Parts: sequence; C-alpha cells; structure tokens
Amino acid sequence: MGDSSQVGLVIEAESLVKVYRQGGVRAVDGLNLRVRRGEIYAFIGANGSGKTTAINMMTGALAPTSGIIRVLGVEQPRNRHEVASLIGVAPQEYSLYQDLTVDENLEFFAGLNGVEQGLLGERAGELLDILNLRGRRRTPVSELSGGMKRRVSIACALIHDPEIVFFDEATVGVDPVLRQFFWGYFRSLAERGVTIVVTSHVMDEAERADRIGLMRAGRLIEEGTPSELKQRHGVNTVEEVFLKLSGGVTVDG
Amino acid sequence: MMIAMPAIVMVIFGLALSGEVKNIPILVQNLDVGYEAQAGPGVSISVESGADLAEALQGDDSLRVVTGSYEDGVTGVDDGDYFAAVRIPADFSERLYRRMRGEDVDVVVDVYVDGTKPAIRASILGAVGDSLRSLGDGGGLEVAQVLAFGGAEYSGLDVSIPSVMGFVLTFLVLLISLIIINRETAMGTLQRLYTTPLTAFERLLGYVIALLVLGMMMSGVVLLVGVVFFQVTVRGSFTLLFISAFLYALTHVLLAVFLSNFARNELQAVQLAPIIALPSMALSGMLVPVNSLPDYIQPIARLVPLYYGNRVFEGVMLKGYGVGELSGDLLVISGMAAVFLILAAMTVKDRIDA
Repeated sequence: MGDSSQVGLVIEAESLVKVYRQGGVRAVDGLNLRVRRGEIYAFIGANGSGKTTAINMMTGALAPTSGIIRVLGVEQPRNRHEVASLIGVAPQEYSLYQDLTVDENLEFFAGLNGVEQGLLGERAGELLDILNLRGRRRTPVSELSGGMKRRVSIACALIHDPEIVFFDEATVGVDPVLRQFFWGYFRSLAERGVTIVVTSHVMDEAERADRIGLMRAGRLIEEGTPSELKQRHGVNTVEEVFLKLSGGVTVDG
Repeated sequence: MMIAMPAIVMVIFGLALSGEVKNIPILVQNLDVGYEAQAGPGVSISVESGADLAEALQGDDSLRVVTGSYEDGVTGVDDGDYFAAVRIPADFSERLYRRMRGEDVDVVVDVYVDGTKPAIRASILGAVGDSLRSLGDGGGLEVAQVLAFGGAEYSGLDVSIPSVMGFVLTFLVLLISLIIINRETAMGTLQRLYTTPLTAFERLLGYVIALLVLGMMMSGVVLLVGVVFFQVTVRGSFTLLFISAFLYALTHVLLAVFLSNFARNELQAVQLAPIIALPSMALSGMLVPVNSLPDYIQPIARLVPLYYGNRVFEGVMLKGYGVGELSGDLLVISGMAAVFLILAAMTVKDRIDA
C-alpha cells in the first residue's frame, strides 16, 4: 500500500472519466476526489448524476475510460484483487442470493473474502444482532421484506470487517426509524476507523456525513462539510445548497 | 431475435428433413457364379441374376452400396460403419432360374442388419426386397435377416432413449445454465462478486462445477425414468454411460458459460438454448441419419456435439460398445469441451463490461 495510506488518504481519484460504450454517455466527467480514513463521505446528486458509476470505479467493478483511481494505495481495477477483501460493498440493488437463507448469504460472501470459519459465526451473530435480523437467520432472502433485504445486504458488505465500505443508496426504501439507526451505526463504524462512502439523493441524510460531494452531470460541483456548504451559500440546509446549485431543479426520490 | 429464431429453426429443419432417407451405407457381396440354363435342345442361356440384383441395389437411391466381403460387412455393421451387409449366395442364379421354372426351391439372400434404427432397417429390407422382386415374380424369394448386436431388436422407445438423453443434456443443460448465470446479473449478485477477491476464472470454475452436478442429476433422472418405468436396456457399461454423459454435460456447461456473454437478459438467455438445441436436433442424426442430409449440410452436422453424443449414447446403450469403439467420438467431444473452455475463459469477465 503506497504512501497515501500513511497520510490517511484511502481513496484518491484524479481526472476520472467514464464514458459508457453503449449510448456514449459521459457518466463521470473528470472527477477528482480524496477521502480520508475514518471519514463518512456522502455523494449527493440526482438520479443519473454519476454517483453509482463513480462508486463502481472505486470498488473495482468498473474500469474508468481515463484517469486514475486508487483505493488503499492500489490502482483500481487493475490490482483490485489485492484490496478486494478490504472493501465492502452494498450495491444499489440488494444483490443477494434470493434462494439462500440470510446465514447462507453471509457465509458465502464471508468465504469469498477469506473470513475464517471460526470467526464467521461470531461475526455473523454480532452483525445480525446489530441489524436486528437475529430471528431471520434461517429465512430465505426471497421471503424477507425490502427493509430486511437492505439490512442483509449491509451485513454482507460488513461480514469480513472491511476497511472501506461503499453503500450505494443504502437507505432507499428504508423507514425513517431504521434510517436513523443506520446512520448511528455508520458513525460507530467510522469511529473505529472504517471509511464509509455513501450515495444518496435524500438530502437530510447528507447532513449527517462528515463531508459531502454534490454531483451533477458526472462532475463534482461542490464539496465540503455540511456546515461549510451551508455557510458558503448562506442557507440553512444542504437541500437548499443543492437546489441553489442545480438552478432550482428539484431532485426526485 | 424473437423473429429470427423461428425462422432459423424452420430453415434448418426444412433443409435437414427435406430429403427422404437416402445414402444408407451398406456392403454387398455377390458370390453368385451364374448359371448356364438349357432353354431347349441345343440352346443354352447364361443368367447372371446375382449381378443383376447387385446392380439393382446400386441403382437404389436410398442406399450407398460398397462391395466387399460379407465378413468385412458384418464387422462394419458391428463397428457402425455400415447399416447392413448383404450376401448373394453362389447358387443364386441357379435357384432363381429353377424357381422361375416352377420348381419348389427357395431363393435366399442373407442380410446382416443394424436393428438400432428401425426406420433405416425397414428401408434397407424394403430396398433389398424390391430389388429381389424386380428379378422375379416374388414367390419364394426370401430375405434372411440377422440382426446385429446380439439379435437386438429394439422398440421405438429403446432406440429413442439415447437421443432423448443427448437432447435433454443439450437443451436443459444449456437452458438452465444460461438462466442461472444470467440471474447473477439480474439479481445484482454478479456486481457484488466483482468486488470480492474472487477471480474471473474461479467464478467460471464455480459455474462449471455447480452446473455439472445439475447436468448429472438430469441425465440420472432421464436414465432412471427410462430404466424403471420403460424397462429400457443398457447393453454396455453403466460406468461408461455415466462418464460419457458427464463429458457431454461438461461440454454444454462450458458452451453455456461462453454463450452467457451474449445474453443481456433472461429473455435472451431463454431463447439461446433452443436456438442451439433445435438445429442440433435436426442435424445430429436424431431424426434422419446424417448420411441422408443434403451433401452441403453434412459437414455442418459433423460440427454438432449432439451428433457425437448420440453416437456415444446409442453405442453404449443399444450396441453395447466399449471405450474402444467409442474412443473417436469421445475424443471429439473432449476436444469440443476444450474449445468451449478456452472460449469461456477468454470471455469471462472480471468487471462490469460497459
């Protein structure tokens, strides 16, 4: 792992561009980004603003068209296997094996990430307690509600105790109480030194992040802590900052 | 694709099945020495009825006649090179002549015939019978039939089970493999796998192993239903049959992993299986022997895995073949598996392809 991890940078993107072959859409257009260890960083933007594309390049699931992306000092996606077990991802879709039980999904993804069998039970039990899924361990995922699937997806992202976690729209379809709980949990992870990158188009969520990156048309149009942004634009909420910057265009969702 | 598929299938079936059964390879040995007949006082005529019969057979479109010794023909039938061996006896002309003169002698032609293809067997016997009757008025003319493979005479079900097994392993293995692999994309699990340390090749191996187990279960069920409910016989070794089915299923699992690259959604995945399996069925010899296909289609038929699969499954189940007789076909299937493995390994993806 290069010098960057020593100075606390776990994600570095330079002039990152992604143009999709099909349709030629420029989904990410010159993204520069630095995320520090233990930080909660929130990408905020409308649907189609390039948040998921940016996350996919960080996780190594998608190759950039140009530019460089390093995660934990390792260039993605070329050397992604070196750091893959240090990264946890909860994609936008649930991304779970519907026919398998909660436990089986956890066991499968833990196995792929090299979690020792002895540690698995303890780790799974702990996560399922925190995420209030203890009673569902033997239930096939297909029989769970949307909110429960979301929690299982988060558990699968965390089962191997990763250093960086990416939550792509982790709180979509989650009720306000649970959302509150998620953010509390994210905060406790960050305090343990886990870096968390989330995407959201729910603005009040962004207020809870350490730093916010506002994305529009594949570009980072504004970045800073919630209070910095509000101060800079002389408004009271992050949502107002967003509305101001997008020229009054509202965000759906 | 929805419009192209039925069109492609129909064209292939139409071309493949347009001809009747023809060019069935048989071997004929004419031992007939001819006969000098006294037609009247001082008048003798010479008859060469055996040669006439051989000529009539050669002129029959349904057959492709090779001449040689009957023993070679019998070996050839046993090895699957010919469907029948025909022997015209030395006294054929004499007996036929005397029969025509009203004497009570039988005129017998020996035919050693492969009974594992009832339609072909019927065509051959029909052709020999017709040719024989073209020489005389029919009475007392006999075809003495000996069935190959220990006198095995098979029912329609017996002879179709090997092909059904081949077809099930082609169609269902492709279909289910394509759907399962496609579900990784549809469910989003593939995207999560792309972020784990799992390499693309490891993922490929995972698919192959899991789908192979499924393929073996399917062929086991086909065999079980055949044996238990329909008393289908397996003349050869069960072990060899199992190994062959394993190899054949492997070939199609690998093909499916490769083809999964071309299916963008479940609908396309579901259509890819029949687009491969139905033409395979038409070209494999399952419906008409490959020899009977139009000349320009025959080379294509030899590229179809099911052609070799059918030969192997028929060989083991109906003819009692061992590894020796089947090594060539098994080698071709292995070669195809190797080609599909290379194609699959070359195209398996380690990240989102966009």
